[in-house]
Amino acid sequence: MRQLKIGTSWVRGVIGDAFTPELAIQFACAFGTYCDGGSVVLGRDTRRSSPMLHAAVQSALISTGCRVIDLGVCTTPLVSHAVRRHGAAGGISITGSHNDAEWNALKFLGPTGSLLNAANSEELLDIYHASAYGFSGWDGLQRTILDSGAVSSYVDDMVRDLDAASIIAKGYRVAVDFSNGASHGVCSLFLQRLGCELVPLNERPARRFSHAPAPQVENMRQLEAVLPYVKADVGAAINVDGDRAGFVTHDGRALSEEVALPLVVDHVLARRPGLVVTNLSTSQMVDAVAARHGSTVLRAEVGEGYVMDRAALEGAVVCGEGCGGVALTPQSATFDALQTLGQVLEAMALSGATLADLTAGLPVFAMRKGELACSPDRVYRVIEAVREEFDDAVVNEADGVRLAWPDQWLHVRASNTEPIVRIIAEAPDQTALDALFSRADTAARRGASGFGRSDHNPAGSATRSGKP
Amino acid sequence: MRRPLALKIGISGVRGVVGQALTPQLISSFAAAFGSHIGRGRVLVGTDSRPSRDMVRHATISGLLSVGCQPVDLGILPVPALQLHIRTTGAFGGVCVTASHNPIEWNALKFFGADGILLRPAQAEELTDLYHQGVFPRIAGPDIPEVLFDDTAIELHLQAILASVDVDLIRSRRLHVAVDCCNGAASRATPQFLERLGCRVTAIHTDPDQPFPHNPEPIPANLGDLCRAVRESGAHVGFAQDADADRVAVVNERGEPIGEEAGLALAVLRRLEVEPSPVVVNMSTSRMVDDVAVRHGCTVHRAKVGEVNVVEKMLAVGAPIGGEGNGGVISLRTNACRDSFVGMAILLEALAARGGAFSSFREEVPTYSFLKEKITFPAREVATALRRFRERNAGHQMDLSDGVKVTWPDRWVQARSSNTEPIIRVLAEAPTDAEARRLVDEAFAALSG
Repeated sequence: MRQLKIGTSWVRGVIGDAFTPELAIQFACAFGTYCDGGSVVLGRDTRRSSPMLHAAVQSALISTGCRVIDLGVCTTPLVSHAVRRHGAAGGISITGSHNDAEWNALKFLGPTGSLLNAANSEELLDIYHASAYGFSGWDGLQRTILDSGAVSSYVDDMVRDLDAASIIAKGYRVAVDFSNGASHGVCSLFLQRLGCELVPLNERPARRFSHAPAPQVENMRQLEAVLPYVKADVGAAINVDGDRAGFVTHDGRALSEEVALPLVVDHVLARRPGLVVTNLSTSQMVDAVAARHGSTVLRAEVGEGYVMDRAALEGAVVCGEGCGGVALTPQSATFDALQTLGQVLEAMALSGATLADLTAGLPVFAMRKGELACSPDRVYRVIEAVREEFDDAVVNEADGVRLAWPDQWLHVRASNTEPIVRIIAEAPDQTALDALFSRADTAARRGASGFGRSDHNPAGSATRSGKP
Repeated sequence: MRRPLALKIGISGVRGVVGQALTPQLISSFAAAFGSHIGRGRVLVGTDSRPSRDMVRHATISGLLSVGCQPVDLGILPVPALQLHIRTTGAFGGVCVTASHNPIEWNALKFFGADGILLRPAQAEELTDLYHQGVFPRIAGPDIPEVLFDDTAIELHLQAILASVDVDLIRSRRLHVAVDCCNGAASRATPQFLERLGCRVTAIHTDPDQPFPHNPEPIPANLGDLCRAVRESGAHVGFAQDADADRVAVVNERGEPIGEEAGLALAVLRRLEVEPSPVVVNMSTSRMVDDVAVRHGCTVHRAKVGEVNVVEKMLAVGAPIGGEGNGGVISLRTNACRDSFVGMAILLEALAARGGAFSSFREEVPTYSFLKEKITFPAREVATALRRFRERNAGHQMDLSDGVKVTWPDRWVQARSSNTEPIIRVLAEAPTDAEARRLVDEAFAALSG
């Protein structure tokens, strides 16, 4: 099977036979046509395949008459910031993000600096499918501009939004695992401006990543081991393109990726009441925290594009997903790991508490994320089987099916990236969770086993959200 | 008649009109095909100064990387400097982003092997086969090589040229040279080169970031600016290079073009008077070269039109000097390609050795009336037209190795399909203008049916 996936606002695949420079060129030609010859900000992560895609995309954008504003190696939030600063027509971030080193992707950003939403993506795909590229003649080709001021301008804006003096007064030592990604330079400047001392891990690009680049507990073992020795006040793991963050306490305990959002939501709502947006699969810790501040949580379909789009539409003050992606809105147009780190540092500084203390204040639930191998033609049957199994829940069918009860919920949906169905459940305690999950799992397997081959993968990661 | 295609894939590479047929996708695929052909090693990439250079260069680099080649980006440089650098650095091959003398809306890829020579016709055929098969041995993401940068090629090339002529002799004459770089790939190198030969330099059109000031083909019609510069500055001689600096045209001290074919003949003359040897030129080159060779008791061999054909023949017959009549001088000991710097250096050496005016040097070779014209033909009608031309001339002495060349004792006419554009070129050489004109007119009539 060719490993290629075209989703809302991105195209991703395994570099080689599936994801070729020609494919990147076609998509970038479509995007350049979509941007109608305007300026397009371009950035890339540190993967070995990223310079290849960078060259392909740059060529394609130039060919469609776009002015490329090149940031070189940078994070997705930096691309987003530069799009807004330049009033550009869009941006492309070349990054496999949290995927393995074999993968890479193009993320498409619109003029607001956000990932393209579903409607815009459809228009882009129409241009791609029709190969209706608007090539420019030789006299309409633009020279690329290198934007050397992007990093300082982005850091300035972020620092201005924080109580920098309070953070500086604390003189924190912060250990950051950069996952061999693009954040090291910009993070160094950011922490320097906040008077923090940086202890970097995996800060250099690598042919193979030192660990899977998603900020999950199992990928934060190095930070856990190092933290007590370097006597850091807090540890952070940032994925390759700098949009997701995970955290480790000063005593070396990695926190679930679900914790970042409620931590930031708690801190933000305390000073700036407003709406919160998250996705259907994110822990109800967010709801509990928002309820403390009298705020409401809206749930969008899974995916940053959907969540940011909804946040902008509803005028939310903060949004994010359980994967560790968080954004303050409207300050940011994409999830931003450094902004998330800044909020955590500010929360620590203003309260004088450690990260462990802050986390202890979060409500505790039991959560489990499992998956079931399932060919695309069986997905609907699996989802139906689960829905029929439970008849007493509030049903949301925006993305697969999400069943909610007052104190627990269950979400079954097709993965955006793999031929699997994801089953996510959360309940007040482990006993309730096990009961809920196994009932859903049995129903799902019944749905999948009608005919055709399907394998159950029991190795779903069991996480206990909140205090681990 | 169907509109001529804006794309040409041939032994000289792939060439097309930007914004039409020459898309980034086509370029990237062609580069991937070339990478598959040449193998996973270093491949030098250079460009001329066309505004589309970055678009084509980036697509080329992406295609090379995808099959595991390591691109070495040389930036803007003369194509002969790139060709020499392939051998100097032991690279697997090279790609030059240039449409040479074609108008500015065109661009192209020229492909070179490890010997710095354009792909041979058989290799070029293999390359196009690979391209058409469309399945390239792609490399996994983590194994993709890093792009390298190298800015030493121009300097090494200039040093090689300077080592091939009598620099002291040229320097001693303090020549005043006007040069038109056409805002092309040699814009930075040429003035520097001439200064190192002790020349006073009047350089025009030396900004590679500006579009070409005129059509870049170095033919008399495009030499107006240079002629004016020579007259106004009082230079001893004027040179015009094309966009990738493989060809050179010459203007005498009175600001008159010396004729497209005379530059090569004079360069050959200089080399043969120093060291007699066999000479190789193409089928369409003026008989001036034969006159020069006869004077020194040397033999002239004729190759098919196209740099690689001439170079191959030079290697085969052991000719150190040769070239193509349209201003492409080849000196094998310096560089296995047409090289405008080689041409300028030899002509300046000859001028310095004589001590007179360039117009008197020019008179050392006879003048013929030489016409080069072209007629646009869709590719599918070319063969039929050439057959008509052949039939019309049945009974005369004829050479069919490159199009159709008909020869009489004191004149010849040739019709051949261009390697680079959808046109048929008609060339005629005869003692007088009227006779040459008649040969061309008759050829046009025959070709058009």
